[in-house]
Amino acid sequence: MDAIRLLLLSVFVFGFGGLASLLLGRLRRIARITSGLTGAIGAATGLMAVARAMISTPVPLTLSNQFPFGNFVLQMDGLSTVMVGIISLISLAVSVYSISYAGHYSKHNLGIFGFFTNLFIALMLLVVTIANAFYFLLIWEMMTLSSYFLVTFESEKKETIQAGYLYMLIAHAGGVLIMLAFFIFFITTNSFNFAAFRQVGLSPALRSLVFLLAFIGFGAKAGMVPLHVWMPPAYSAAPSDSAALMASVMKKTAIYGILRICVDLLGAPFLWWGILVLFFGALSAVLGALYALMEHDMKRVLAYSSVENMGIILMGIGTGMIGLAEHQFTMTLLGFLAALYHTLNHAFFKGLLFLGAGSVDYRLGTRDLNQMGGLGKLMPWTSFSFLIGALAVSAIPPLNGFVSEWFTYQSFLRASGSQDFIVRVALPLCALLLALTGTLAAMIAIKTYGSAFMGPERSEKARNAKESPGAMLTGMTLLVIGCILLGLGAPLIVPYLANVVTQLLRLPSVTMAQGLWVYPLNPYQAILSVPLIVLLLAGLLIVPLMLILIFNGGQAGSRVVSEPWACGYGYSNRMSITAGSFDQPMSVTFRGLYLLRVAIRSPMNAIAAWAKRVRESILRAEPVLESVIKQPTTRAVEYLGQHIQALQMGDIRMYCFYIILTLAILLLVIFR
Amino acid sequence: MISISSILIGLLQALVILLAAPLYSGFSRVLRAKMHNRRGPSIFQNYRDLVKLMKRQEVIPQQAGWIFRFTPFITMAAMLLIAALIPIFTTQSPYGQVGDLILVVYLYALSRFFFALSGLETGSTFGGIGARRELLISTLIEPVMLLVLFVMALLATSTNLSVISTKILIGQIPYYTSVWLGMLAFAFAVFVEMGKIPFDLAEAEQELQEGPLTEFSGRALALMKWSIYMKQMVLVALFISVFLPFGNVIRFPAGMPLFVSVVLSALVFFLKVMIFYFIAALLENAMARVRFLKASNITWTALGAAILSFVFYLANV
Repeated sequence: MDAIRLLLLSVFVFGFGGLASLLLGRLRRIARITSGLTGAIGAATGLMAVARAMISTPVPLTLSNQFPFGNFVLQMDGLSTVMVGIISLISLAVSVYSISYAGHYSKHNLGIFGFFTNLFIALMLLVVTIANAFYFLLIWEMMTLSSYFLVTFESEKKETIQAGYLYMLIAHAGGVLIMLAFFIFFITTNSFNFAAFRQVGLSPALRSLVFLLAFIGFGAKAGMVPLHVWMPPAYSAAPSDSAALMASVMKKTAIYGILRICVDLLGAPFLWWGILVLFFGALSAVLGALYALMEHDMKRVLAYSSVENMGIILMGIGTGMIGLAEHQFTMTLLGFLAALYHTLNHAFFKGLLFLGAGSVDYRLGTRDLNQMGGLGKLMPWTSFSFLIGALAVSAIPPLNGFVSEWFTYQSFLRASGSQDFIVRVALPLCALLLALTGTLAAMIAIKTYGSAFMGPERSEKARNAKESPGAMLTGMTLLVIGCILLGLGAPLIVPYLANVVTQLLRLPSVTMAQGLWVYPLNPYQAILSVPLIVLLLAGLLIVPLMLILIFNGGQAGSRVVSEPWACGYGYSNRMSITAGSFDQPMSVTFRGLYLLRVAIRSPMNAIAAWAKRVRESILRAEPVLESVIKQPTTRAVEYLGQHIQALQMGDIRMYCFYIILTLAILLLVIFR
Repeated sequence: MISISSILIGLLQALVILLAAPLYSGFSRVLRAKMHNRRGPSIFQNYRDLVKLMKRQEVIPQQAGWIFRFTPFITMAAMLLIAALIPIFTTQSPYGQVGDLILVVYLYALSRFFFALSGLETGSTFGGIGARRELLISTLIEPVMLLVLFVMALLATSTNLSVISTKILIGQIPYYTSVWLGMLAFAFAVFVEMGKIPFDLAEAEQELQEGPLTEFSGRALALMKWSIYMKQMVLVALFISVFLPFGNVIRFPAGMPLFVSVVLSALVFFLKVMIFYFIAALLENAMARVRFLKASNITWTALGAAILSFVFYLANV
């Protein structure tokens, strides 16, 4: 079987799993095991498709039909393959995880949950491979809908419904913009195929219009500031495995959309496109990180941190687009490479962090950081996994987050070759903002990890916690391994991703790695070797050990005391620092930027209020329509009915008369 | 790709920093005492403290887990790796094949990450507050350092420390206004990161102790203190290698044996570090302490200088 047929098989397995779980809904335990296992099998099939596609790019598969809006074309070029890879890998881990995790919601109908989860993954697989705008939109909207049902799974809670409503509103507004962008293409080409879009020469103004529509449309889904408002409530309301899927995979489909439409189909010919993307990227990165710092709900922290990481990815894409417009080969390559690499990395560590948060929620039943504490001892493996995710999200070497941010910095450095003044100003400033984001991200990770897993237990629930079941730990372990390998394996991954970028942009192929080393095209600019960092750090651990040996420190031994030092007073658990007191100095230092949030919120509230008014006026319009159309119709029907009843006398002879009369009329009509 | 001589020089640098760091810290203690009209400790007091601490029993709070035990080791390893990455005696970064200045900045982040976590893990009040404070200062200072280094990288079109250092030394990057301003901003950042007075706790102040160090004791405390001394000296070395690399050996001149040239440039290096510590001590003792929430008011000037340096880079002067 070739790659695309394998992919279709994977989609069918997911679909089958979804239906099976729906049918088995009553048998809750069996339903959740079925949906988890079929999900894992589907994901494994997807990975086989990716492996095939990596060996040789498959020929696009066309299922022709009679519809005027074009063929159902599936393609797996480099970009699509990377996306299918991300979706399959993450859903493999999430599916295994949810076998146990779904038990958390045993009071709900797990059949429906399994159905929508599997359907959601299947649709994401299709959306990144379809090469026809009509079907793309169709699947895109279905994907939004199925994720909506995942967000509102705990529908008995009021805030869940509100979160779902906000999500629906913004996602659909984005969907409409994307639809308009495709419509402009359709008018000029009279086709819905991406291949036709690629060839068309749109006028500059129209091209920019399409870009803006697509960028804002996909940006809403990606959670770009200021369109990010739906994310924190939605992720916090959704079950953790769905939140992991949405944050680490669904948002990547939006990144895919931006890359496919703005870069592949439109070619990013104008400089200001790239600068616009860069601007929103930087804004999202810094504000996302700052807002994450102020949250005390574990999943809301992670949601804002996703906003931040989307910002970093957008910064990479923006730099790549600037490079395209300026015909700077190296900048283009590095920008897109950094963006793709970070997309891959973010999927892994954010998935891992959401699963970790879910694991804590599973045992404690709370997401409030102030009620956790001390879980590191009670849930050691969850704690270790979360730590790896926290290190990766803070871009700490040698984990994967560091490598992609390193490439982002390298792409900014190409500003020195630019002719344009704005680019020469913007890119180094973005380096400054990326550094700020990095330190803030570390602070967020430390705060979240520290207050959840360290220090004293702050509630009864935390004291009684125990380690999560094996399936959940397996799911997290898969992602931990991914985070480590994506960092260590940089010399293998970078050439592959570079190939994807050059293939997408139809550029000549390049060498960016040799042996254990990676370099940004030109080894003179910089060299990095992640395996050597690991080796040296591990090797240098010998020095402190030797110091202890030399100075006889080993003999003194150690002693464990029950309490930390408290100036000679009795220690109380309430003396330790909480999430709330941890971030307090930040709110003082960056006060201005926090005020900005209020400023962003007010137009968003205005939009929400407007939508509410629309809904209310629809409710008001309904009675009007009733009195004008429905009621007269009903009355007329009733009136007719009553008069027709007169014919119905209940006398058998009368009915015979009707029959004979009818026959006579018919005979007359025929033999006239 | 790494030659034997650079592996050796890298190890030598790490070793020299390891051995000399407590001395410089002792030097600034002596200066501080002299300026207070005290007799002060011997310049070697830090070594005595370290040896003594090594022999003491370690006391660990019950809540502390493996991160608390592991932190002294990873912190020291990170500092040693940075010491081997910076061009100290030659203009070549001995382990330049491993990483560049971005790696150096992020290795600091690595050590800080574990340092702050170890403060939280014990559940100690002072540890937590110290961790919070450490991180706030880092969000204010690290971007400044990175911007300055980035401007230097833009001038050199490379983030490789060897390239930057060599280009400054042979005058390929002249001392533009932007380099001077960058130097100023970076020196300021190093001063802050060294834990000098307006931003940090003096020795044994009861109200804050030493932040995350509060619960460390015995050999762990010795390793932590040693790493902190190293951190200060490595930062100064980074400053010198980027902005003032004069006196460093360029690729070992053919006539002179490697050993002699390295020793000569080492002497120059020690002198430069001493001058930096001296000026830092003067500034430190001339300043009053401020509330740490006001720290941002002062660090904005560093950011301002860094941005000015960038502006001058754009204007090519």
